Amino acid sequence: MIRLLTFRLNGRERTDAVADNVLLLDHLRESVGLTGTKTGCDGGECGACTVLVDGAPVLSCLTLAATVADRSVETVESLAEEGRLAFIQEGFHRKLGSQCGYCTPGLIMASEALLRRDPDPTEDAIRDALGSNICRCTGYVKIVEAVRWAAEAAAAGRAGATRSAAP
Amino acid sequence: MSATASSTDERHQDAMPARVRTIGGYVPLVDGPDKVSGRARYTADLPAAAGALAGRILRSPWGHAAIRSVDTSEAEALPGVRAVVTGADCDRTFGVLPIAMHEYPLARDRVRYRGEAIAAVAADDDATAERALALIRVEAEELPAYYRAEDAIAPGAIDLHEKRPGNVERDVEYELGDVDAALAGADLVREKTYRCAEVCQAQMEMHAALADYDPERGRLTVHASTQVPYYVHLMLARCLDMERSRIRVVKPHIGGGFGCRTETLHVELVCALLARRAGGAVRLVTTREETFITHRGRPEQTVRLKMGLRRDGRITGVECESVQRGGAYSGYGIVTILYSGSLLYAIYDLEHVRYRGRRVLTNTPPCGAMRGHGTVNVRFAFEALLDEMAAELGLDPFAVRRANLIDPPAVTPNDLLVNSYGLPECLDRVERASGWRERRGRLPAGRGLGMACSHYVSGASKPVHWTGEPHATVHIKLDFDGSVVILTGAPEIGQGSSTVLVQCVTEVLGVDPGRIRIVASDSEVTPKDNGAYSSRVTVMVGNAAIEAAERLLDTLTRAAARELEVEPGDVEVLGEVYRAGSQDRGLTFDEVAAAALRESGTITVKGNFSTPAEAQGGKKYRGATVGSTTGYSYAAQVVEVRVDEETGQVTVERVWVAHDCGKALNRLAVEGQVQGSVWMGMGQAMSEETGYADGLLSAPNLLDYRVPSIADSPPIDVQIVESNDPLGPFGAKEAGEGSLAGFLPALTSAVADAIDLRMDELPVTPDRVWRALERRRREAERAARTARRGAANGGASGAARQASGTPRGAPAPPRPTEAETGTGAGSGAGSASASEGDSIRPHASSRTAGDERSNFRSNGPDSDSGPGSDSGPGSGSPARAGGRRTKGRSA
Amino acid sequence: MNVLPEWELLAPSSVDEVRAARAHHPGSRFLGGGTDLVVNLRRGIGDPPATLIDLNRVADLKGIEVAGEWIRIGAGVTIRELAQDPRVRASFPGLAAAAGSIAGPTHRNMGTVGGNLCLDTRCIYYNQSEWWRAANRYCLKYGGDICHVAPKSRICYATFSGDLAPALAVLDDAQIEIAGAQGARTLPLDSLYTGDGERYLALEPDELVVAVRARRPPALRTGYDKVRVRQSIDYPLAGVAAGVVREGDRLADLRLAFTGTNPRPLRLAGTEDLCGGALDDAVMERLSGLVRRQVMAMRTTFTSGHYRRHAAGVLARRLVRRLFDTT
Repeated sequence: MIRLLTFRLNGRERTDAVADNVLLLDHLRESVGLTGTKTGCDGGECGACTVLVDGAPVLSCLTLAATVADRSVETVESLAEEGRLAFIQEGFHRKLGSQCGYCTPGLIMASEALLRRDPDPTEDAIRDALGSNICRCTGYVKIVEAVRWAAEAAAAGRAGATRSAAP
Repeated sequence: MSATASSTDERHQDAMPARVRTIGGYVPLVDGPDKVSGRARYTADLPAAAGALAGRILRSPWGHAAIRSVDTSEAEALPGVRAVVTGADCDRTFGVLPIAMHEYPLARDRVRYRGEAIAAVAADDDATAERALALIRVEAEELPAYYRAEDAIAPGAIDLHEKRPGNVERDVEYELGDVDAALAGADLVREKTYRCAEVCQAQMEMHAALADYDPERGRLTVHASTQVPYYVHLMLARCLDMERSRIRVVKPHIGGGFGCRTETLHVELVCALLARRAGGAVRLVTTREETFITHRGRPEQTVRLKMGLRRDGRITGVECESVQRGGAYSGYGIVTILYSGSLLYAIYDLEHVRYRGRRVLTNTPPCGAMRGHGTVNVRFAFEALLDEMAAELGLDPFAVRRANLIDPPAVTPNDLLVNSYGLPECLDRVERASGWRERRGRLPAGRGLGMACSHYVSGASKPVHWTGEPHATVHIKLDFDGSVVILTGAPEIGQGSSTVLVQCVTEVLGVDPGRIRIVASDSEVTPKDNGAYSSRVTVMVGNAAIEAAERLLDTLTRAAARELEVEPGDVEVLGEVYRAGSQDRGLTFDEVAAAALRESGTITVKGNFSTPAEAQGGKKYRGATVGSTTGYSYAAQVVEVRVDEETGQVTVERVWVAHDCGKALNRLAVEGQVQGSVWMGMGQAMSEETGYADGLLSAPNLLDYRVPSIADSPPIDVQIVESNDPLGPFGAKEAGEGSLAGFLPALTSAVADAIDLRMDELPVTPDRVWRALERRRREAERAARTARRGAANGGASGAARQASGTPRGAPAPPRPTEAETGTGAGSGAGSASASEGDSIRPHASSRTAGDERSNFRSNGPDSDSGPGSDSGPGSGSPARAGGRRTKGRSA
Repeated sequence: MNVLPEWELLAPSSVDEVRAARAHHPGSRFLGGGTDLVVNLRRGIGDPPATLIDLNRVADLKGIEVAGEWIRIGAGVTIRELAQDPRVRASFPGLAAAAGSIAGPTHRNMGTVGGNLCLDTRCIYYNQSEWWRAANRYCLKYGGDICHVAPKSRICYATFSGDLAPALAVLDDAQIEIAGAQGARTLPLDSLYTGDGERYLALEPDELVVAVRARRPPALRTGYDKVRVRQSIDYPLAGVAAGVVREGDRLADLRLAFTGTNPRPLRLAGTEDLCGGALDDAVMERLSGLVRRQVMAMRTTFTSGHYRRHAAGVLARRLVRRLFDTT
C-alpha cells in the first residue's frame, strides 16, 4: 500500500508518497536522495544507518518509513550550519575519527544524540552510547577522542570563544 | 573523485611566508569534510545510480556441482526485466596471477562453492529483479564437496580444477641453510601446531558496482568499490572481450578494503555484463551476506612450527609447515602461501629455514589478500612458540628478541633487503611505555602481560601483472588558475593515500595546501596505478609524487629566475613567494606560474617510481620475489589482559604498540592506521571467525561474525618510531599493516602470563579458553594418576612434563565430541549429538523439482562415478640453496 | 534498495483499536521496535504478513508503574526507558541490569519490553537469509522438516534469548496481561512459553501482550548477569537472573532463571531445597547439579552448548554469592 507520509526531515516538513514496506533507510537514500545515511548490513547489525527520530538514535534499516509520520527525522546532512561543519563533525575530521568514512554518519548521529543529553560525556559514557555502531577502520580510539573534542569545543564555544579557538 | 586540500593552520603571514611544511604533522584527511558531512559518495550513492536498473545475482545452493542447464526463459519474460546473463554469456576467466585465472564471472560448467554466482538479472527495480531470480531454473548434478583442506587433498578426492591435480594450488618447499644441523646445535627444540580460523575483512561498505554501457559508442563506464581499478579495467576488457580504450573505470569513495577488493571481483564483471546486455546503466549492490560470500579473507591455516633456541636466546633454525584452506579459486593463493614462508625472514637474524606450504583448493568461498597478507598466522605461530620456549629457558621475551636482531643494512638468506630497522627502538619504546619491567609478573591473579613483534612490506616489489612499466606514475597539472592538481591512479580507500600525496607535493613546493587538489582513480584522467594493496601507495606513489613535484618546482624556479633575471640556483623558494635575495620582494606563486605558463602553456609534469633491483628479491626458489620490498615496517607490542578462569572470557585492558614507519609523514594517519591494524588483529585473535555449516557460511552477517564493538575495544597507545628508510619518501615506510600480526601472539602470551595456559588455536573465544582449561585439568588429573601408578610401580614417568603444558611435538589435541543435550543427568543420551566443530552434515540432494520454493534441481553426488584422482600434491625435491648470510650481529 | 514483502501498515492508537485491527486482519503481525521482527522479515523468515500493526502509537501500552512491591510495565515501553527508570533501578535492580545489557544502546532505544518478552527463538540454521535456508533445505522451525541441530528430533531447539523474561521470572507473581478478541486475560509469565522452539509462545493468534507485572518481596535481592562474546550487539550465550533472600547467615530463598540456553526462559526447579542453611560449598555444588540437569543448551549458536551450560552454572553461582554477600 502506498500512502502520503508527512514528516519533518532535517527541520523541513515534507510529504512523500511512500509504500508501507519501504524502510526509512531506503526512503532517505533512494527517494529523498540523502545518501549520507549508509547501508552496512542486512538489518540491525552495524549502526551505519543511524538517524535521529524525535532526537533519539534509531536504526533506519529496521524502521519502516511509514512509521515516522508526524515525527522529526534528522540525518547527518542536517548538522552543518551555513555549510560549516558542526563540532561533532569537525571532531571526527580533526581527530581522525573517520577513516574510510562509511560508518561515520551513523557514528556521528549516535554521538550527536549523546552530546544533546550529556554535553560533557566521560569516556565510559561515550563507549556506552556508541555500542550499536561498528567501525572497521579506527579501533574506536580516535572516535572517542573525536567526541571528546566536540564536547570541549562546544563548551568553549558556549563560553563565548570563537570556533577557531576550539582545541 | 576530486578533493580539495584543506588549509592547515600554518597559513602564511604577511608578504614573506615560510614554506609550508606538513610532513611529520598531525594532518586531517583532505577528504575528511566530505565524509563527516555525508557528502562523500560511495558507489551505491552515486547520482547516476538514480536512473540505473537494479542488478541481482542468483547464487548456487550447492558446494560442488556440474551445471546441466540454466533456463532463464521465464525470468526474461517477466515484465520489467531488462537483461539476464548466465555463464553462457562469458567464456572468459578472470583472476589475479596470469597463471591462475580460473574463475568465471558467472559459473559455466561447474559451481565450486555455495554462493557462487550462476546468473544475474537487471530489472526496473529490485523487487522485479528478485522475482526474476526466482524464475531461473538451474539443473545440476552434485559432486563430492570438500569443505576442509584435509578432505580436499585426501586420496580419492576429485579435482576441483583440471589444472590443479590433487587440489593443491601450490606446494612450496625449500630449505635455506642446514636446518637439521641448526636444530642439533640448539639447547632447546620445540615443535607445535597452531590453528587459525578463517577470517575476513568485513569492511563496512558492501561490494557495489555501477556500470553504464553506451551501445552507440561501444563504451563502458564502471564505478566500482575496488582497491585496484587498474586490475578491474584489465579484467573487464578480458571478460567482456572489449578493447581497454573503450572502458573507463572510476573508483568513488570506498568504505574500507583491507584486501577484500585487492583483486577484481565477480560483482563488477557481472554488473558490466548486465549493463552491456541491457544497453544502459545497472547498479549492483550486494547484500552483507553476499559480501561475506564474495569473501577474499584470510584462509584457515594450520602452522606446524619447529624451532631451535640456544640458552643465549639465539634462534638456531626453524622448520615451518603450513596448510591453507584457500577456497574454490586461486585468487592470490600462490602469493599468500609464498608470503607465509618468505616473511619468516626479515624480522630477526635468521639463517636456517625449511619451509613447506601448501595452498589447498576447497569448496568454500575463495580467500584473498587480507591485511598482513600471508604473514599473520605464521607470525602468530612463530612469536607464540618463541615466547613459550623463552619461558622454558627462563628468558625474558624482550631479551630473546634482542638476541636475534638484524644489523642493517642486510640481505636475508632469501634475498630480502633490510635497509632500515627500527625494531630495536620499537622494543625499547613499548617496554618502557607498558611498564613491562616493573609490572610483568607482579600483576594480580588473572591478569597478564604479553608481547610480540611483527613486520610487513612497504609495497610488493613485483606487481602481479608485470608489464615492465614503472611501479608508480603521478602527474601534476599547473594551470592558469594557479591550482596544483595531482592526478593519481592510487585508490584512496580510507587509508589516507590522497592526503599523503598532497602532503608530499606540498612539502616539495612549500605552497599553501589550499591551492593543491587531488584527483584520484579515474582511468579517463589519472595515470594508471596498480592499486591500494601491500601497503604500496605511500612508498611507491609517494616517491612518484615527490619526483613530479620536484620537476614542477624546477620548472617554476627556472621561470622565476627568468623573471628575476638571476640564475635558477639563486632563486629562494618560499612556497608562495619566489625571490632572489632576502631584500627582494620577490614574485608571488601566481606570478611565477603565469611566467612559466607563458613559456609552455598549461604545465603537466610527471614523476615515476620503480623499485630498485636490489629490493626485488631473489631467485633461490620459485616465487622468491614474493616478500621483497624497498623497506619493511616493524612493530612491537605489549598487550595486557584480564582472564576469567571460570568462564574463559578474555578482556583486553590495554595495548601499547611501537611501529617503525620509517618517517611519519602524517602522525595522525599513522596513529590511526596502527590502531586500526592492532585492533583488527584483536578481532582475529578474540572473536572473528567465518565458520561453515556444510559449506554454508554460518556467520554471514555482522551479528555472528563478531567484529569487536567499541565496548570490547581497549585504549591503544601508539609510539611512532622513525628509522628513516633510504628508499622511502622522506624516509617513510608503511604504517597500515605491520602491527596487525603482533597482536595475536602478544595476546596469547598475555593469557599465558595470566593463567599459565598457552592457546594455540584462534580465536580465543570463551568456549575455546574453557575447553583448553578443561583439557589441561584432565591432563593434570591423568598425569597425577600416572604418577601415582608410577610411584606404586617404583618407576619415574614423564608426567611432570606432560603436566607442564609444553608437550614436545604435541600432536593436534583431540577435539572432544560433545553430546549437547542436557535433558537428563546422564546427558549425551539425547537425540542430538553434534560433535564440536562438526556441525557439517552432508545432505543428499536438494529439494525435488516439484518444490515451488526452489528454482534449483539436482541429483545427489554419485559416489561411484567420481573421477577420483589418486595423485597426491605435486611432489618434487625441495629447492635447496645456500642462503647469503645475513649480516647479523652475532652471525 | 531492500525488497520486503508487501503489506499494509496500520497504526492504531489504543489497545481496543489494536484488537479490532487484529480481528479484521487475522494474518497480521505486531510491530514494536522492529529489532527482531523487521530483521526477520528482511530475511524472509516467517510467512509474509498481509498486515503489520504498528504498536508504537498505542498510548495504553506505555508507562511503567511502580507501587509498593509491584511493578507493571507496558509492553510498549522501550528497553532503554526500563533500564534507566530510577524506580526500576532502585527496586528491581536485576530487571534494570537485564534491560541495560540488551544488544546495544540504539537497539535498546528501539526495542520494547513486549518485543523482548516475545523475542523469536534463535538458531544459526534459522536466522539466515531465504537463500541460505533454502540451500540448507530449511528446518523444523520454518519451512522444513528437519532439525539441523538434532536431526532425529521432532521438536525445535531454537533458543530463547530474551533477557527480560528471566529477570521477571525470579520475582513473585510475574504475569502477562493479554488482550484478545474475547477481552483481557492474564497468564503467568511461565505459561507464556511452550518450551518448543518452533511455536514458542502460548498466545492465541488474536492476542497481544499488553503489559507484564510482577512483585518483589522486600527482602528479595535481585541481579542479572550474562556471558557473550561481544559486550555489545550480541545475544547472550547464557544469561542468568537470580533472586536471593538472606536471613542472618541463612539462605532463606533462592530463585534462578536462565536465558540463551533453552527454547524457553528456564526457571530453575528445585532451588527451594537449597534453602534453609548457610550458602556453603555443598549448596553451591547442588546448585551446579540443578543447572547441569535442567539447562539444555544445544548447538544453536556458534558457541558450543557444553560451554553455554557451563557458563550458566558459573554465572549462577557467582551471582548468588554476590547477592548473598551484598550488605
